[in-house]
Amino acid sequence: MHRELIVKTTIAFSTLIASIVLPIAYTYFSSINQDLPETILSYRLHRSIYSVLAGVVLASSGCMLQSTLRNPLVDHHILGVGAGALFAVYLSFLLHGFSSLFMIALAASAGGLFALFLSVAIAEIMSGSDAAYVLSGLGVTSMFSGLSILLLYYVAPRYGPASLMLTGSFIHSRKDMMPYVLAPAVFMIISYFALAKKMNTVVIGDDYALQLGVNPRRIRLATALIVGVSSSLIVSMFGMIGFIGLVTPHMARLFLKTSDNRLVIPLAMGFGSLLLYITDSLSRMVVAEVLGEVPAGAVTSAIGAPFFLILLVKRLRGVQH
Amino acid sequence: MIKLREVSVTYRGNLVEALKNITTVIPGNVVSCIMGPNASGKTTMLKAIAQLVDYEGRIEFNEKDAKEMVKTLRRMLSYVSAIDVRELLGVTVLDLLIYSRYPISEKFLTTMKDIEESVKTAETLNIKHLLHRKVNELSSGELQRVLLASALVRRPEILLLDEPESHLDMRSKIWLSGFLKSISNNATIVLSTHDPYFASLTCDYLILLSKGRLVFSGTREHLLQNPEVLEEVYNTPFTTVKIGGYEILVSVPLES
Repeated sequence: MHRELIVKTTIAFSTLIASIVLPIAYTYFSSINQDLPETILSYRLHRSIYSVLAGVVLASSGCMLQSTLRNPLVDHHILGVGAGALFAVYLSFLLHGFSSLFMIALAASAGGLFALFLSVAIAEIMSGSDAAYVLSGLGVTSMFSGLSILLLYYVAPRYGPASLMLTGSFIHSRKDMMPYVLAPAVFMIISYFALAKKMNTVVIGDDYALQLGVNPRRIRLATALIVGVSSSLIVSMFGMIGFIGLVTPHMARLFLKTSDNRLVIPLAMGFGSLLLYITDSLSRMVVAEVLGEVPAGAVTSAIGAPFFLILLVKRLRGVQH
Repeated sequence: MIKLREVSVTYRGNLVEALKNITTVIPGNVVSCIMGPNASGKTTMLKAIAQLVDYEGRIEFNEKDAKEMVKTLRRMLSYVSAIDVRELLGVTVLDLLIYSRYPISEKFLTTMKDIEESVKTAETLNIKHLLHRKVNELSSGELQRVLLASALVRRPEILLLDEPESHLDMRSKIWLSGFLKSISNNATIVLSTHDPYFASLTCDYLILLSKGRLVFSGTREHLLQNPEVLEEVYNTPFTTVKIGGYEILVSVPLES
């Protein structure tokens, strides 16, 4: 059992480091030999860094929400954070234009947090069950998506990439987005070290956590704020990227045969960044040859949604995994 | 030794009085038992001792005020109640045991000691073969043992158990009774139960609650000699029966 622990720990952390370093290094070295202009090289490099870091943020958001809400069916996207943030982004486009990334990020955080608060509150009023969270998240998502599409009629003619953000895409990556992607990623890694061990006790139950000296309410509130802001920042730059946060924690738990967040979160982060980098590269290289570039978020949804449905059916029939 | 002095607990903004002015002394290093019908305040009393609910009055552990030693208490006290296994994200038995060492494990990651202690505790409770099973797939008897292991894995000085014998079959109840007695040399154990038979088999000291008030507290011998106290609380007659050197309490229906 000791060896098992060492192996699992090594796998989790080395996957995380490898899946951050390798894609970026691959992009750099495969592009540098092609004698590309400086601007294209810089664009490709930034785009790869963004997809990798967005994967880290969204995957850990999913892990943290699932653990603290004790619900395997949620992530930032299901709970409406994505839709709420995107609506706020469009609103800020209309009111402040497209120049200030800071205003956009600020609006997205507010919108994302509000949507999260709304869907959790409604779910708790309904019954607090797993299904209640999914349904209330669906309602909140629908409402904000509808509003976003209305606003899109005014926004899209003036800012092209806005419509791509509806499904999530890295096509419009810009150099100056770096702080708004790097900050939530660093924030997530800090929160992982601060909260992962406490989250483990919250998964078992409120009384259980309390008797171990962990205040479950405080952990839930902290997680909601951290996840709400971090995933909203990613949405504010690239739009709604669904299902990465839902799928990767399950993959990590299945692979490690444990639910220990200290190992699950880093491995899920690794899976998240790999998945998002690969889907982005695929949509850029393979699909683009046939259809023109397809937003990465569309690819993740197409793969992730069936997985979500399988999970939903298994869960609501009373069988886990 | 746990001292309670005029301990009261009210829920929902002073509307429901769950415990009213409880004053008693629970002796150390024996198995004590809180008995009473449904909604008599058994769980609330355990939670007050575990510092999980707000209370008025004073609770002392070895003459020290509990409110001033909450941090120390988290390391030396384990409280076990039923958990909702439907909500677990595939937590394994080993995971649960490792998580339960939270107050005494100082490193961020799981250490070799965490694993060694978990395996050792699992061996004493005969659940080593369950370590890699998921908690939500266990039978209720297995779950009860696993929960007990999760409390013992950090070697507590005080062990509080909320209805540990519920969902156990007869053989497991008798095993649990013997096991608790065998570890009571090293720990002060307080449990709550509905079952007068289990209480009289297991506990050296008994506390009877009715509607949040203390009705009786004393040794087992004392209660066995006065089974009519139980009759008052439960509203049904009790009697003491001697079987093979054991004296146990049983309830019989009134002859109609």
